[in-house]
Amino acid sequence: MLPGLTQGLLLVLAVLATLLPFIWMGVSSFRDPGEIFRNAMRLNWHSFVPERLSLVNWEGVMRPDFLRPLANSIFVTVATVIPGVLINSAAGFAFAVFRFPGRDMLFAAVLLSFMVPFESIVIPLFSLVRWLGWVDTYPVLIVPEIANGLVIFLFRQFFTKLGRELFEAALIDGATWGRIFWSIALPLSWPTVASAGLILFLTQWDAFFWPLVAASSPEYTLVQVAITRNLDFEQTNYGRLFSAMTAASVVAVIPFLLLQRFYIRSITTSGMK
Amino acid sequence: MFKAGRTPWVFLLPALLGLALFRLAPIGVAAVGSFYTEGLTGEMHFTGLDNLVSVATDPDMVAALLRTLLFVAVVVPLVVGMSFALALLVQAPTRFSIACRTILVLPVTMSVALTAVLWNLLFDPILGPVNTVLSGMGFERQFFFRGADQALPTMVALATWRASGYWMIFMLAGLLAIAPDLREAARIDGATRWQSLRYITLPLMTRTFAFVAVGATAVAFLFFAPILVITSGGPEARTELLMFKAYEAGFLRLNHGRALAISLALLVLVGIFAVLELRLLRARE
Repeated sequence: MLPGLTQGLLLVLAVLATLLPFIWMGVSSFRDPGEIFRNAMRLNWHSFVPERLSLVNWEGVMRPDFLRPLANSIFVTVATVIPGVLINSAAGFAFAVFRFPGRDMLFAAVLLSFMVPFESIVIPLFSLVRWLGWVDTYPVLIVPEIANGLVIFLFRQFFTKLGRELFEAALIDGATWGRIFWSIALPLSWPTVASAGLILFLTQWDAFFWPLVAASSPEYTLVQVAITRNLDFEQTNYGRLFSAMTAASVVAVIPFLLLQRFYIRSITTSGMK
Repeated sequence: MFKAGRTPWVFLLPALLGLALFRLAPIGVAAVGSFYTEGLTGEMHFTGLDNLVSVATDPDMVAALLRTLLFVAVVVPLVVGMSFALALLVQAPTRFSIACRTILVLPVTMSVALTAVLWNLLFDPILGPVNTVLSGMGFERQFFFRGADQALPTMVALATWRASGYWMIFMLAGLLAIAPDLREAARIDGATRWQSLRYITLPLMTRTFAFVAVGATAVAFLFFAPILVITSGGPEARTELLMFKAYEAGFLRLNHGRALAISLALLVLVGIFAVLELRLLRARE
């Protein structure tokens, strides 16, 4: 293929194309709103680096109309991840360990479910929850995102690798299946727990269409929806927009950087059969 | 494998119930709901195929369908190609390329809506840094999302930028699953690196390619947030994709039956393309 040097250059180029928008966003959040126009019109050093660091934008963001949606997003995400890990790992455990009628068919249905992206069913799901009277509540933002086919799949892959002997020994010692799952299998699967948690977190953090339509009142607005409601450069608040976006991104990037090792590994070792 | 009577169902029930209610049932709702039209007071009338027919015969919808197909036809090969190229670039287990993997996946952590806001600012015709750089280098400033001819291509760039790193992980999984001795043996037999890529790596990765192609196709068909956030279908309706039309019908015009009919069409399209892509790649295996 390509010589090493060319490969290295291409890689550096790809990394820059990925990183520069983030860096520009972060740096701009410390820029005085007054200088942006001046430096955007003529290319110079200060088109990228602020003339002086200013906290004006960050002060502007520390207000309930941003903090409330940010808190909503964090709450909704945590409330999805915890039951999500438990419920999906239990299902993955059942598919890996038990023999029962209809197992293969059900597992195929689970695989199929993660080929149906959530966005494709937002509108019919909205009709459904409207009929149930769930619109504009926290549960409507949380409950639909808990069960996740990809996460069930990853747990099943992990639990399949645990030897039969482990469970037999525990059964002989008189452990119930609930206890085997909770005190043996789940603790052993912690790398999968980490990546499952991250997958559920990212799915929920990425959600836009659903929170936009299902919970539109200010009380339940999530941070992504709140930010998109206020976005033109021409508006007076664009400085705050940079701080708001930076804050929302940092909240997502920290857990990602902590857990991405497990996330990338669990996907790369699951073998994607 | 153990037989344990009712125990497996206790473990399965919560997750399966969730999937059934929030993934499967809506498909049924879309199918049934598209036969109904909602009156002004909220009562439902059975109107048969009216919604589907009015969608299928609306010239705006036909244009949106063709535009969506074009969008998918451009984005999917780009994403598949880019994600594979990136996986090749970071497959070495060196510290540097492992760090690069992390960085390349970063766009996924930024929600799609925020990506849209960020790109809208980056490519702003007046204040965006992309134009500042272009004009500083002596090129014309471009309209990007605000130009009738450039809006959709810029959307393609956004979709590719966001998705390539994510699918790269799956491509990497496929690459790393190939036993190293296969390529080693080819090398000893005198195969060039291109030959080894063409005759060993690619054939062994058909399943991965199928998985990524199907996934990327579904995401491209359902591309929505950037359209709503950046252009709302404009300029001159040039970025009206099907998902946006579904949103417009359901939530701006409050015609739920029509929105469900478009949703149903999208589900069917995604399904058909998934089957086609799997067939195509299976045949090559």
